[in-house]
Amino acid sequence: MIYSWKNIVKHNLPLLTICIFIEIFAGQILQGKQEMLVLFPVFLVSIPVINGVSGNIGSVLGARLASGLHVGYISLSIKDKEMHDNLLTSILMGFITYFVLAILIYFIALLGDLQMGIGLIEFVIVVLGTGLLLVCVISLVSVVTAFWSFKKGLDPDDMVAPVVTTVGDTLGIVFLFLLIGVVGIW
Amino acid sequence: MFAKEMVKQSLPLFILCGLGAVFAGSTFAGMTSIFQEIPGLIVVIPAIIALRGNISTAFGSRLGSAYHLGVIDAENLWNEELRQNIMGSLVLSFLVSIIVGVLAYVTSLLLNVQPDPVKLITIVLLAGIISGVILTLLTIIIIYLVFRRGYDPDNITGPALATFGDIVTMFCIFGSAVLMEAIL
Repeated sequence: MIYSWKNIVKHNLPLLTICIFIEIFAGQILQGKQEMLVLFPVFLVSIPVINGVSGNIGSVLGARLASGLHVGYISLSIKDKEMHDNLLTSILMGFITYFVLAILIYFIALLGDLQMGIGLIEFVIVVLGTGLLLVCVISLVSVVTAFWSFKKGLDPDDMVAPVVTTVGDTLGIVFLFLLIGVVGIW
Repeated sequence: MFAKEMVKQSLPLFILCGLGAVFAGSTFAGMTSIFQEIPGLIVVIPAIIALRGNISTAFGSRLGSAYHLGVIDAENLWNEELRQNIMGSLVLSFLVSIIVGVLAYVTSLLLNVQPDPVKLITIVLLAGIISGVILTLLTIIIIYLVFRRGYDPDNITGPALATFGDIVTMFCIFGSAVLMEAIL
């Protein structure tokens, strides 16, 4: 037998506990901003989307870099051309995905009779701005984590996904309130 | 040029998963009044979604490796390897849910919010275990279908479980919060 439940718990618990500590920090920001979120529930709809998209993009980028490093068509250099292509493509895909989803969320919320308090243009600027900032940071984090873990002899496939989703969840919420402040909604 | 195929294969999936996340978000937005009634509850949302995502995608990816190693397949699905994996995931869900509840309570106290510790920890534990059981069953069903069709589980389970996981977990937190608010 390969698997035992005790080993599964032992291997996963430490990293999970670290992730949970950081996620609780994100949760405390939400609690602090609760008053505002109640007035603009459309941002509550957006939070899982903002976080989910960057997590997916970062994980796919990390998995692609891991395969490239394992097979050898990506080298451990910050000047690697293949890595640059993957990085830029991820950011471009982030831009398209966040743009499409921002418009969709707005109209789904309108159809769902949600209290809006914000116009389409302002909403798209906030979500797209948050998303773009997030996807740039997450893609860089993904590259750094993949390269660093590969250099240390760890498997990037195991490392990138938890790191990228945790950083994405926390920074997603931080950037969202930053953009809300910059656009001057609250 | 590998980057081109990445756009072709991944972009539709990103947008589709994003739409799935809108469901989770709508549940989140529907909970505003219960967040005001139960202080500290909103704190656990990112953590419990992350714990569910991490545990179930790791579960899915282990089953993917088990398939590639030849210890599990469509004809021989319900065996000791699978049972150990299920047990491991459920024990992790239980332990980490307790950590989430306690951390949310302690950090709230530090920030001068006074949650009800019993209520908060019970809600998190209930939501963690129920969503754990549902997601485990869902993983087994997805893995079974993937095996039957001869796909590579590694390409499917990650995004599928992350998206379903968010939706199921939000519903479970919502349900547990309403239930505990009624009982306690």
